[in-house]
Amino acid sequence: MGKEEVTAVKKRRKLNTSTSNDGTKSVPVDVYKRVVEFEEAEAHLRPADKDAAFFNKTCQDIRQLFKEIAELKTKETLEAKEKINAKRVEASLLLVALKKLNRLEKVRTRAGRDALHKEKQRVDSTHLLLQNLLYEADHLNKEVTKCLQFKSKDEEIDLVPLEEFYKNAPPDIIRSEATKADEHQLQLARLEWELRQRRELSEACNELISSKERVAAAIAAARSRLDALAPHLKDVLKSTKPLQECLALRLDEKRDEARAASLLPASLFLLFKNANAYSDILGSKVISVGVCGDEDEARRHDQNNVENDIISSNESDSDQENNDEDQQTKKKRHHRTKNVSKEDKAEAKIKRVFKKHPLNVQVSVKAEDGTALNLILSYLINLKIIVVKFTVSLPKPVTGVSAADVLNGHSILNELYPGDTGDDSPHPATSYLLKNAGISESFSHFIPEIGRPYVWAQRMCGIDFMTSELNEQSVRRAVEPCPNLSVATVENFIMTLKKRLKCRVKLMHELQDLESGKISPPKGSLPPSMRLAGSLTQWQSVGWPEYSQAPSTAFLVTEGLVSANDLLYRAIITRQSAKLVALVALRSDYPKSVPIFSLTLHWNGTHHAGINDDIRDIERVINTEIDLEERKHCTLSTQITKLLACLDILLETSDSPEFPPDKVILHPVRGRNRSKPYKFVNQGVGVFVHH
Amino acid sequence: MLNKMLYNTVLSQTLSPCGKYLVAGNTYGDLAVFDLDRILNPVLELLSVEYNKPKHIHSIDSKKQICSLVSTEKFLIIGTVNEICGWDWKAVVSVKLLKPVWSIKIPSQTFLDYNDVNCMWLSQDSEKLYAGCGDNNVYVFNLEDGSLISTYKGHNNFIHSIHGKNQQIISAGEDGLVMLWDTRSGKSHNKLEPHTNNKVSRPDIGKWIGSAALGDDWIVCGGGPRLSLWHLRSLDAVTVFDIPDNGIHVSFFHDDCVFAGGTSKHFYQMSYSGEVRVELPVSATTIYSAVLRTEYSTLLSLAGSSPEIDLCTSLNYKDQVLHFR
Repeated sequence: MGKEEVTAVKKRRKLNTSTSNDGTKSVPVDVYKRVVEFEEAEAHLRPADKDAAFFNKTCQDIRQLFKEIAELKTKETLEAKEKINAKRVEASLLLVALKKLNRLEKVRTRAGRDALHKEKQRVDSTHLLLQNLLYEADHLNKEVTKCLQFKSKDEEIDLVPLEEFYKNAPPDIIRSEATKADEHQLQLARLEWELRQRRELSEACNELISSKERVAAAIAAARSRLDALAPHLKDVLKSTKPLQECLALRLDEKRDEARAASLLPASLFLLFKNANAYSDILGSKVISVGVCGDEDEARRHDQNNVENDIISSNESDSDQENNDEDQQTKKKRHHRTKNVSKEDKAEAKIKRVFKKHPLNVQVSVKAEDGTALNLILSYLINLKIIVVKFTVSLPKPVTGVSAADVLNGHSILNELYPGDTGDDSPHPATSYLLKNAGISESFSHFIPEIGRPYVWAQRMCGIDFMTSELNEQSVRRAVEPCPNLSVATVENFIMTLKKRLKCRVKLMHELQDLESGKISPPKGSLPPSMRLAGSLTQWQSVGWPEYSQAPSTAFLVTEGLVSANDLLYRAIITRQSAKLVALVALRSDYPKSVPIFSLTLHWNGTHHAGINDDIRDIERVINTEIDLEERKHCTLSTQITKLLACLDILLETSDSPEFPPDKVILHPVRGRNRSKPYKFVNQGVGVFVHH
Repeated sequence: MLNKMLYNTVLSQTLSPCGKYLVAGNTYGDLAVFDLDRILNPVLELLSVEYNKPKHIHSIDSKKQICSLVSTEKFLIIGTVNEICGWDWKAVVSVKLLKPVWSIKIPSQTFLDYNDVNCMWLSQDSEKLYAGCGDNNVYVFNLEDGSLISTYKGHNNFIHSIHGKNQQIISAGEDGLVMLWDTRSGKSHNKLEPHTNNKVSRPDIGKWIGSAALGDDWIVCGGGPRLSLWHLRSLDAVTVFDIPDNGIHVSFFHDDCVFAGGTSKHFYQMSYSGEVRVELPVSATTIYSAVLRTEYSTLLSLAGSSPEIDLCTSLNYKDQVLHFR
């Protein structure tokens, strides 16, 4: 207990010294230090649990004291008060002990805490170390994996294969021992070799590029020189003009023609080439050829065509566009009359469908007397056929209506080859194209405006429609012009047309004579001295309706021997009261084919082959009984002369007082069919006998 | 130049003895053989465009006109110009017609360079052939040996038609005479001139008689003059048939009817009293030949100046048209 008192004193002193530190600092500091050391040692030395028990005991004593005090307080005696004071003092001393214990406890707690703290710190630091190491390990791992994953660019390079490498590379690179041993070395060596090779190649490449550039520069230079040359050449050409005129060479014109010809579409070009060739051979008196039209437009058209070729459904697209445009214009103009725009639309459509190539070929075929047939052949771009327009130029005007008709262009060209009337397009796809474009009329409707699509014209331009099929795809595909066809046809055509022109001119002269009632002296079997009492009083051309409705032609029409394509005429022969009306049909290839006569006699009634055998017999004689001799000279005039003779015989053998017998006839009637003698035999005066 | 067949004229026809073929001859010397079986009983599968064309068309060598045809059991007898020829029926229906088996030359007269055998008639016993010719005579030939038995002279112009019955021959000529001949005596015992009868005559057509036929008591004849019925013994014109025609070339009796045709639009069947029973429209301008048979099946064939031949399987209407081309 004495120690406690000391400590208590020290504590009081400590407390006092806290307030006044002046001279007593070092001493209290020392003391303080010593006290602290002492207390710490004490705490360390005294076992904690004994102190705990001491504490409990002390507490119990205090409690006991208090209890006793309390009891004593109740007694309220002086003894009690002294005891109380003694107890009070005991209690206070016990309190002091408690204080000491408390202090000890505090020191101990503090020591414990400090130890704990230190441990904690140590643990923390090792923990930190651990963490650092872990991190580093992790980091290193990552780096390792990164390194392992690293794909070096060198693996992507296509290296020369191993065998080649060993073969080709120089020995200093190979270092075969080292490389064979070590893969890494091998790789290095290969890379080195690769690098070297690539360097060499790139040098070579650069060289080549530079040489190419040099050459290109040279070409450009040459081209510019050539361009500079062109105007010089033109000057030279111009300067040759006077020379050409002097020597009468048509070189300039020929060049112009050739240039124009090069712009022609393929088929017309074929025609031009071949026709030109024949013109050169036969001379321009027979046939002359030329190219006309707008060359610039042709060039523009060609360029357009090249661009539009890629778009396959060109027509239908533009058709759509056109329709849409027209719809819009129609809407715009709705306050004007609608009819105008509808007509315009139809007009525009027609114009587009029947668009012609701007250039056309003109061929002129001449006959000996100067009559010429000028043909203008144009190419319809969309319909891909050739159409022909024609004019006829005559040396002198033709008198006589029917004669002039014969030299009308269409009449000459009609059926130049059998069946070729040029009435409809020979291209099987034309009707489809027209329908597609929305044009309801057939092709024949437009013929007067655009010309006639004769088959010979197509063949002359090398277009052969016999082999073309009809389906939608081939409509777009052009029918390729065939050069051989063109050559063969042109020659044939020129000859045929010349012949036809010649025959037509002769026919025209004949018709002229007939119209004026003159029958030119026949080279036939009848001698000029034979008196023919009848005479030709009328010669006129008639139309198909009149021809086909005459009763005498009924069987010819039903047999199909005469058609509306033939040239039809009416001749009237009169002898006194008898009138013989003859309807004559000439085929287009007269005089190769014989004219066909159909007779009606007006005398004592109307007689024709359908009701009177005599007239039928005359028709038979005129139409069928022509022997080979006569065939060569057989013309309209000869047949009319024969007809006159037959009429005379018929009338004179009819026992009528009006016609006294004039000809020498042995037997007027023969056989059950009572036929008359129409055959002339040149014996003596000339006798008519039966066949 | 037109095909001459367009102006074909058939002057005569005849039927084969077996009844299967119809033969027609024309003025160009062509003989057309028609297969009646195929035409009248066509087998549908074999039907072609050509079925109504002749099976064969033969041309006789001389190319002269075929004026008359007569058929016997064995032969087809053709009367052409200046001669009468006989062909075997087998050759006629085959593909090639060879030379005639026999031929008889008409004794030629000097003033005529051609002598048409215009009409022929076979006697009942098929032994004698009567031929009316262009030289105005009727010749009687013996068919056994082809010899001339007798000549009937009397006409002044060529003979159009000849017909016989009961030992009598009637001949019609261009001179307007209808002459009756007795076959036993060879002389003409009667003659008729219709053109002198003013009920009958038609001067603008002519006086020629195109056809005359003998009935039991009757004669029918016509030509330039109208078709008329005459009594055989009294030679009176009993009926004058009033039909619109321009010349009669065919007339005959059958079953109480008078059949007649010529230059007219129709072929007429009339009763003896003159009423018209049937009018058959014809294709030809003039009918020169009509063949009628009733044995196997009824068949009437009309031909003339046309390339068409009208075939009737009933006497009342026209059935088919055959083409001689």
